[in-house]
Amino acid sequence: MIKLNDVNYTYMSGGPFEKAAVKNINLDLKAGEFIGLIGHTGSGKSTLIQLMAGLLKPDSGSITIDGQTLYEKNTNMRKLRFQIGYVMQYPEYQLFEETVFQDIAFGPNNMGLSEDEIKRRVHFAAKLVGLDDAVLEKSPFDLSGGQKRRAAIAGVVAMEPKLLILDEPTAGLDPGGRDEILCKIRDMHRRLGITVVLVSHSMEDIASLADRIVVMNQGEVAMQGTPHEIFKGAKDLKTMGLAVPQITEVCDRLREAGLPLPEGIYTVSAAKAELEKILNAKEKR
Amino acid sequence: MLKDITLGQYFPGNSLIHRLDPRTKILCIVIYITVIFCIKNFWGYGILAIFTALCIFSSKIPFSYVIKGVKPILVFVVFTAVFNLFLTNGRIIWSWGFLKITAEGVRLAIFMVLRLFFLVMGTSLLTLTTSPIALTDGIERLLSPFKKIGVPAHELAMMMTIALRFVPTLLEETEKIIKAQTARGADFESGNIINRAKAMIPILIPLFVGAFRRADDLAVAMECRCYRGGENRTRLKELKMTKTDVLGWVYVLVFAMLVFASNILL
Repeated sequence: MIKLNDVNYTYMSGGPFEKAAVKNINLDLKAGEFIGLIGHTGSGKSTLIQLMAGLLKPDSGSITIDGQTLYEKNTNMRKLRFQIGYVMQYPEYQLFEETVFQDIAFGPNNMGLSEDEIKRRVHFAAKLVGLDDAVLEKSPFDLSGGQKRRAAIAGVVAMEPKLLILDEPTAGLDPGGRDEILCKIRDMHRRLGITVVLVSHSMEDIASLADRIVVMNQGEVAMQGTPHEIFKGAKDLKTMGLAVPQITEVCDRLREAGLPLPEGIYTVSAAKAELEKILNAKEKR
Repeated sequence: MLKDITLGQYFPGNSLIHRLDPRTKILCIVIYITVIFCIKNFWGYGILAIFTALCIFSSKIPFSYVIKGVKPILVFVVFTAVFNLFLTNGRIIWSWGFLKITAEGVRLAIFMVLRLFFLVMGTSLLTLTTSPIALTDGIERLLSPFKKIGVPAHELAMMMTIALRFVPTLLEETEKIIKAQTARGADFESGNIINRAKAMIPILIPLFVGAFRRADDLAVAMECRCYRGGENRTRLKELKMTKTDVLGWVYVLVFAMLVFASNILL
């Protein structure tokens, strides 16, 4: 689906404030995968996803999406961007139209779709993120924080991209709003079969959603693998200023205390199953 | 794109020019500008060029960096040159229909271009070598004698500090919004002028909304810390004139006198 080959990117190159953001990135995302991207603040996550979204031009290396290389002479960047949905951090700051409907329709409008198709997509996207039809006629600036966030995400989803990239979509939301947004993202991934890249600081969220986790550290890909593989390496993660999900931490401590728990447990249900196994074995004895 | 604008940007360093007291620099720039507008012949511009080059050299800022500051006003310079070229009365040396070029016009056009060019170079050297905070501190101190006649020196300086402080923030925000709308397929490059102006709306509205939000937040944060203007406020860095400043003054005054001498003698 999307392939990154030795990608490098430097900010303000040549000036007094030069700073390498990402170095030698090699990644290969398959169609339909749900990728969790984690890393310490300033580890280059945001730069990496902006490169994937075709918003930054790599200094060297190449990015290929479905066989088309980004920023190549005969690549139509605008058309290619229609296939990539990019939800920036605090996406509600992108809202500008008079009504929520018009704002969600901005992307589809730019794609040059017919009016009926735009209408269908707006309603579809609004429903997908959980916005009522009544909200569509309101001004986006009159909505609550959580609703604004959902309207902004709907504006990206309405373009029906094959690849959806989200940069901390739950930052600054209350727990209820957070769970709801994540639930909707999981829904979209399942129902539309799209590839999703999710950046998050919450290990719990990443653990419960992602098929594969990519860990960034100081501009480089430090680790990648299934949640099980990644959360086995609790020590490595901690040296990078990251943590493991709470339940992993609990299981690791219990194992240190002498319980025969396997490594890399990252969901509460898995932990429960393992603990029950141990307790049942004890009762039998 | 936006980062290429060097006009008004600070270039950190520790050169002679960087170390000058901001008051010295501001007053010297005022003299510099006055001198530019007093120059009457090409000898004066020669002296001006040497003086400016020496200043840039001793500031240790790459020459290309200073030149970049002139770029944004290039259109303005061309306009001025064209107007002066065609609209000055005098001895006609070329004419076609209603268009005419006079010898005086050519001279004036060249003078105007040189003036604007050096004006921007000099002032961008000031902002490149002086941090915004030092600059506003300098302005506040220079204006403080006028407090007695009701000039709100501190408030003016505070407003400038805040405005300058938010330039990079707003640039960053603009870039973010441009990216978000580009990702949604916004097209800023094609179409006629009206279409392009319309294409700016998705950027400008979020930018304004954001600016007001920030202003509000800042006001609350300042009130929370009991900010109440300039009276009895002490400062972290007191401005001090040093030997370097004396040197700077001598340098600028010699330059000014040379130019005036060239005006009279040559």
